[in-house]
Amino acid sequence: MSSYVITIGTVIALYAIAACGLNVIIGYAGQVSLGHAAFVGIGAYAAALLATKAALSFWAALPIVLAISAIFGLLLGLPSLRVRDDFLAITTIGINFIVEAVFNYVPFFGGALGIGGIPPIMLFGAKLKGLGFFYLCLFFLFIVLAVCWWFTRSWAGLACFALREEESAASSVGISPVRFKLLAFVVGTCMAGLSGALNAHYITFISATDFSFPFSILLMCMVVIGGMGALWGPVLGALILGALPEIFRPLVDYRILFYTVGLLLMIRFQPGGLLGENMIVRRIFARVFPGAK
Amino acid sequence: MGQPLLEVADLSKYFGGLKALDCVNFRVMPGQILGLIGPNGAGKTVCFNLISSVYRPTSGRVLFEGRSTEGSAPYEIAKKGVGRTFQIVKPFASLSVLENVLVAQGIARYDAFLKIWSAWRSKSEVNRGMRILERVGLAELAHRKAGLLPLGNLRRLEIARALRVGHKLLLLDESFSGLRHEEISRLEGLIRSIRDEGIAVLLIEHNMRVAMGLCDRLVVLDHGRKIAEGPPEEIQQNEKVIEAYLGRKGGKDAA
Repeated sequence: MSSYVITIGTVIALYAIAACGLNVIIGYAGQVSLGHAAFVGIGAYAAALLATKAALSFWAALPIVLAISAIFGLLLGLPSLRVRDDFLAITTIGINFIVEAVFNYVPFFGGALGIGGIPPIMLFGAKLKGLGFFYLCLFFLFIVLAVCWWFTRSWAGLACFALREEESAASSVGISPVRFKLLAFVVGTCMAGLSGALNAHYITFISATDFSFPFSILLMCMVVIGGMGALWGPVLGALILGALPEIFRPLVDYRILFYTVGLLLMIRFQPGGLLGENMIVRRIFARVFPGAK
Repeated sequence: MGQPLLEVADLSKYFGGLKALDCVNFRVMPGQILGLIGPNGAGKTVCFNLISSVYRPTSGRVLFEGRSTEGSAPYEIAKKGVGRTFQIVKPFASLSVLENVLVAQGIARYDAFLKIWSAWRSKSEVNRGMRILERVGLAELAHRKAGLLPLGNLRRLEIARALRVGHKLLLLDESFSGLRHEEISRLEGLIRSIRDEGIAVLLIEHNMRVAMGLCDRLVVLDHGRKIAEGPPEEIQQNEKVIEAYLGRKGGKDAA
């Protein structure tokens, strides 16, 4: 594989990890979060600061990074999950802008210059880069998918599905809405934090604009296009939206236009996403092989 | 008679100037079927929402097993053993019929942080869910998506769900409306068998024949006030009740 393909593959894997986290929040628990990039940023800044200021290795810092992501998910989720639907969307957008502003204007976080000189990840005494780092990302993506898979099969997941479908009926059968929404939120923000930490060590330089609102929208698009609530949905969404800009590199100025048209087509023809309910793949298959089920 | 299972004491709920429920009192004894009847807008569903803590009362109290439920969230009321259905059915639409019931079966686990991580699709839970579906007559539709069921089946699904929660008290909000004749008699049988298990039932009903035949006692509401209470035979003769439903003597017959 050329290093170009490996780089794109790594970026897609990092997108997929964050998008899987967003899928837990939106797809499983039905809570629209439009500020997911903020939590990727919190993970990235936590990893960067622990590596540069505390001189911790990636592996030593990882549990702390996840804990910080969880704590911020809890703190920011607690007030936002008190509101529903469009209000929740607006609140989470607000969170995204506030977190970005804090990174941008507080000197502790490097201000507008960001944080540079983040050391690469070491494994068995060797620096991980290129293919090795790509495999590490795939390994973490695999773990994230396993967690998602387990979540959908656990009582916690079932409670989240019930909340997504009908909140008042869910609370009438003993499900605490606040508790389970927060749980899904924290699981999702941990995955975002993981993606951010890997990204910080990969690029070795981060700044606030890397985690701005358009990145949240991109992650949201990945989840929607792949299929909300589908296990592999965010991975497919990350693959498509990660690879498309490269394939259409000459058209890069019109990228946003393509996203928009793509999203509109999705909303019209595949509202459940490519791997969601009533997926187009299955419909075509059913048409070609009418007998098969 | 011993301690009432549920006691509604001077319960009021105002929405602005509208007195949706005004100083209502009644008691539900264990193993009793109590009917809550009254014309449209009498405050029956508001009363249900106060009992299940969806609303907070303006004044008055709801006592369950002698304890005030003040400050409890709806999910905490469910944990006390109170199951409810909704007048406008609220299925978990994209889940299967069986999964709808399984959600309710998890009630004992949702409090324990370690127990919520075990798998829900275990054989014993599925069997338990199938038993309740057989009881309400939905077993053959267990794997159908709940959102695709017709209203009659959804009402039975809600009862199945409520039964997995309400091992002490069941609140049924117009569970008979929209059902065919034969479905009604089957549901009557089901509710009697629930009562015979010792579960108290409080039901809102518009179908007078059903309410009179099924309930041990009736409470009649009109414009948020309790206007009568007693056994069905007594209620049938009660002048105030007849007036509330049909209008004053000399007026035109209501439909």
